[in-house]
Amino acid sequence: MFDFDATLPLMAIQFLILMVLLNRLFFKPLMKTLDERDSYIRSNQVDAQERLAKAQRLIQQYEEELAASRREAQALVASAEEEAQKIAAQRLAEAQQEAQARREQAQQELDRQKAEAMQALEQQVDALSRQILDKVLGASVG
Amino acid sequence: MNPTIAAASVIAAALAIGLAAIGPGIGQGNASGSAVEGIARQPEAEGKIRGTLLLTLAFMESLTIYGLVIALVLLFANPFA
Amino acid sequence: MQMLSFLDTFTAFPLAELEVGKHFYWEIGNLKLHGQVFITSWIVIAILLTASVLATRNIQRVPQGIQNVMEYALEFVRDIAKNQLGEKEYRPWLPFIGTLFLFIFVSNWSGALIPWRLIELPEGELAAPTSDINTTVALALLTSLAYFYAGFSKRGLGYFSKYVEPTPILLPIAILEDFTKPLSLSFRLFGNILADELVVAVLVLLVPLFVPIPVMLLGLFTSAIQALVFATLAGAYIHEAVEGHGGEEHEAH
Repeated sequence: MFDFDATLPLMAIQFLILMVLLNRLFFKPLMKTLDERDSYIRSNQVDAQERLAKAQRLIQQYEEELAASRREAQALVASAEEEAQKIAAQRLAEAQQEAQARREQAQQELDRQKAEAMQALEQQVDALSRQILDKVLGASVG
Repeated sequence: MNPTIAAASVIAAALAIGLAAIGPGIGQGNASGSAVEGIARQPEAEGKIRGTLLLTLAFMESLTIYGLVIALVLLFANPFA
Repeated sequence: MQMLSFLDTFTAFPLAELEVGKHFYWEIGNLKLHGQVFITSWIVIAILLTASVLATRNIQRVPQGIQNVMEYALEFVRDIAKNQLGEKEYRPWLPFIGTLFLFIFVSNWSGALIPWRLIELPEGELAAPTSDINTTVALALLTSLAYFYAGFSKRGLGYFSKYVEPTPILLPIAILEDFTKPLSLSFRLFGNILADELVVAVLVLLVPLFVPIPVMLLGLFTSAIQALVFATLAGAYIHEAVEGHGGEEHEAH
């Protein structure tokens, strides 16, 4: 069980050979792969960060543009409303004026017809009163 | 083999492994107790504590193993046989 | 090797048997080899090389299938090396630490997962390569050489200043440390794996069905941890040799 013999040095040599073989077959290529992958991931990360920054810049720009156009649209709406109100007020005033004019015209016509009617009535009254006078006076005079 | 030497070797082997188990037993108990305390105090460090604990337990275990090696020498490769 | 005679009664059971310390010897010239260790270690090496070739045969940027698995393994051992040696220093030592981890891990799990004992050998039995002391001592000695080499190549003769660095009184202990490091590394791995296999074998001997399964699962767990511990400690020793401030922290992690 505790007998040392030629197994020991041969085992050591065998282990060293295994180490050389594994170094060539296993450690070197896979470490290279790992390093390459690391650098690939790192470059990709840098790339992605750049893109992210760019995207954020674009987002900011778009938001600014959006805000500007929103402000513009609000101003437009406000001016349109104002104009519409102005037009509405104008139209209302015109309509009121027209209505006033018509009413005045109608009033004038009414007054005129009233005056004519009064005049006609007066003449009739005159004629009638003359007839009455004639009848009354005629009888007495006649 | 001389029967006296055989008997003495067997007793010595038993004592070697038994005595060699005492110290590491106490030490492993202490270490595990402290590790559990540490985990209870800081549950987020559990992984690290467990790894270190296993390594230190292996070191303490190896003390018993030295006793075992001596016992095996006495049983199977007795230099006085 | 010699076995105590009372263990012979175990081999009388037909279902399972416990063979400890028997080896399937190969003789080359007048050198003796443990054949069963080489057979299993070649299988382990074949598994590792096949997986590597399959994983790197068609490398894609988005990993799939076995490439994904092997990349996970690579990242795991890379993290071990990086945690111990630091971001700057770990690259040249990654093959050593990574191969240590992968070889020990696959060896340990092969001992638990591949039913080696169904294959009959003239003597001894197939088991995990790491359950033989020769393998673990070889790995531990290579680790020692590795950290000596790391210290020399990095700091030249100034590496020896660590022996007398805080105070020359500690010189014997510092020298002793260089011997205890590979000793503890190899015995820890060997003992754990052998203990695991022995416990499973004894339990199978007592209750052949279902009962050993939890112990086998525990064995899988400890074998994985031992591979991790070996690789981590190798990294820590190399780091200590490269950095060279004090020898106190080496077992702290």
